Amino acid sequence: MASAEPAAPRGESSGAARLFAAPLSLLMRMIDWPMSALQRLIGERRMAYAFLLPNIVFFGLFVFLPLIINVVFSVTGGTALFPSQRPYVGGEQYAYLFDCGSFLDPNSCREDHFWRGVSNTARFTVFQVTAMVLFSLVTAVVLNMKIKARGFFRAVYFFPVLLSPVVVALTWKWILQRDGLLNAGITALGGERILFLVDPSWAMFWIVFVSVWAHMGFYTLILLAGLQAIPADLYEAAEMDATPRWRVFWRITLPLLWPNMIVVIVLALIKGVQTFDEVFVLTGGGPGTATLMVVHYIYETAFSNQVQNFGLAAAASVVLGLVLFALTLAQLAASNRKGAA
Amino acid sequence: MSELSLTGVRKSFGSTHVLHGIDLHVAHGEFVVFVGPSGCGKSTLLRVIAGLEEVTDGAVAIDGTDVTGLPASERGLAMVFQSYALYPHMSVYKNMAFALENMGLPRDEIDKRVRRAAGMLQLTDYLERKPRALSGGQRQRVAIGRAIVRDPKIFLFDEPLSNLDAELRVATRKELAGLHAELGGTMIYVTHDQVEAMTLADRIVVLQAGKIEQVGTPLELYNRPDNLFVAGFIGSPRMNLLPGTVARPGIVTVGDGGHEIACETATLASGAPVTLGVRPEHLSLSESQGLPLAIELVERLGGESYLYGASPGLPQIPAFLGTARSSRTSREAAQLRDPS
Ligand SMILES: Nc1ncnc2c1ncn2[C@@H]1O[C@H](COP(=O)(O)OP(=O)(O)OP(=O)(O)O)[C@@H](O)[C@H]1O
Ligand SMILES: [Mg+2]
Repeated sequence: MASAEPAAPRGESSGAARLFAAPLSLLMRMIDWPMSALQRLIGERRMAYAFLLPNIVFFGLFVFLPLIINVVFSVTGGTALFPSQRPYVGGEQYAYLFDCGSFLDPNSCREDHFWRGVSNTARFTVFQVTAMVLFSLVTAVVLNMKIKARGFFRAVYFFPVLLSPVVVALTWKWILQRDGLLNAGITALGGERILFLVDPSWAMFWIVFVSVWAHMGFYTLILLAGLQAIPADLYEAAEMDATPRWRVFWRITLPLLWPNMIVVIVLALIKGVQTFDEVFVLTGGGPGTATLMVVHYIYETAFSNQVQNFGLAAAASVVLGLVLFALTLAQLAASNRKGAA
Repeated sequence: MSELSLTGVRKSFGSTHVLHGIDLHVAHGEFVVFVGPSGCGKSTLLRVIAGLEEVTDGAVAIDGTDVTGLPASERGLAMVFQSYALYPHMSVYKNMAFALENMGLPRDEIDKRVRRAAGMLQLTDYLERKPRALSGGQRQRVAIGRAIVRDPKIFLFDEPLSNLDAELRVATRKELAGLHAELGGTMIYVTHDQVEAMTLADRIVVLQAGKIEQVGTPLELYNRPDNLFVAGFIGSPRMNLLPGTVARPGIVTVGDGGHEIACETATLASGAPVTLGVRPEHLSLSESQGLPLAIELVERLGGESYLYGASPGLPQIPAFLGTARSSRTSREAAQLRDPS
């Protein structure tokens, strides 16, 4: 009797497996002979490259080639689209970009919008990463406790991650705009309407808020995984050692979670620097240039300004790319350290 | 150093009843070992004592004070985990100092205690290492050290040696015995290794399926087991438990051949079924008389040899051998146990 019970689901899954097995094995048999022919032709050891080839082609076409074209654009001038029609100008675009009276004051730069973008992005990233780490840490710790409906809450916090950034931004715009849901609530309670997306400080606050809301689930998940990897017996040992709760958190949880924290911090940094779509939809970089981000600046310079300055935008992209490259190296170093630990 | 008493301790996880009413008193400075088959509730009982599990029913008292409702952190006990549970990011020194820092002891007192424990456990050269840079035996000693420095009321050990290899296990076992002699603390020790139980214990508690089968000194359990379970559980190779029948007062027959063995039958009536318990070392070989055996296997362990023999109608019979080779054994000593 006891053995009949677990046998039932196994029978079911083997039924499903059989359902898929037939077409799969047909497919395998179909690609079998060209593959073995190929293997005879190039030898077994080179087969690995044959399997890698499709991916390499796509990677080259859509990542590597644009990268090179971008660098080419950044060292050429004019408004022509085709690289062959663009005159070589050397580092002129970069020089223009970096032509500043003081790097601390965007207004003293010739390309002040770029530097405003840099300063906005920096400010945004600092606020956003700080808020992101704090909130996702607290959420992860709470979700790791034995609370009721834990699975439900875990899903709820992860859900926004699955939404498209544009959907997220439009939803929040609907809430935050002049006649939006939030203002409706405020006026219903007898308060004054607040121009959330028109006031520069409020606008910055809300883009940080919305991006934390939208991406927190992802980082929470990373931290939750880290928390669950901490052996439960360490907490029991700490309890036997009569460790106060806050000290357990500072001296045991946090140090052991640190590798995951680093991953979260660096990933959030990288994504923060790249921020564009949500802000673009929510505030359009405004009011004025109060929430103009670097990527937004690049987009405008290249595509939406009256004069489409591809060269300058490309140069700015290269600068941004180098920053991201440095951050990625930091992340790799951090996760390697995690592997060693 | 403290005493512990358990009264009617029960523990259930949902509908799984793990402990069914445990009563036990552990005296001041005593070394008590819990043994029993896997899953019988040894760890659960230890964790109940520690305060890591709440009792479902019953009471736990330390030094006469009821601690049933107290969390583990307030019971003042120390536990050595099977997995050691060392803090992986802290040095050996920090691992041992951690609890003392929690107690708010001054730095120099902490340092003094850690260094003394490290000296006792030969860890002085490793104080700055992280646990991952230690061998299994060293980690084990750190775990013990972490318990010692706190000078706890009671030491709790959950199979502390089971992750060590045989040689190290013997060595650490001796160290533990030495430590108990030196510190004199009350210790409760869980194992399923009989040798550990026999060598370390002042008293052994045999558990089965969440109940105490017998409590006694190692020799009491060995020589006068209360029931068949304890008789079969203590001793290796196992005690022979031969099903038989009382033929007439003073005589029991065993096996298909109706072999007669003289032993005390007390008030049992003729024809009553009995189980005869005979330790392997109480059997000896004989050419001419006794129970006929077909030899199935001879195990030579170097210093000692065991013979495994078969007799119609009886389970396999291990017998202690010298160096002789023969196919017949005779009864030298036998015990009557558990009329069944
Ligand atoms: N948290 C729990 N939830 C449900 N059942 C549990 C839990 N902990 C233990 N049990 C059950 O209680 C019983 C006793 O477990 P316990 O760990 O005390 O056994 P043990 O005697 O220490 O065994 P071993 O020698 O294998 O360590 C087992 O049947 C186990 O499945
Ligand atoms: Mg156990």
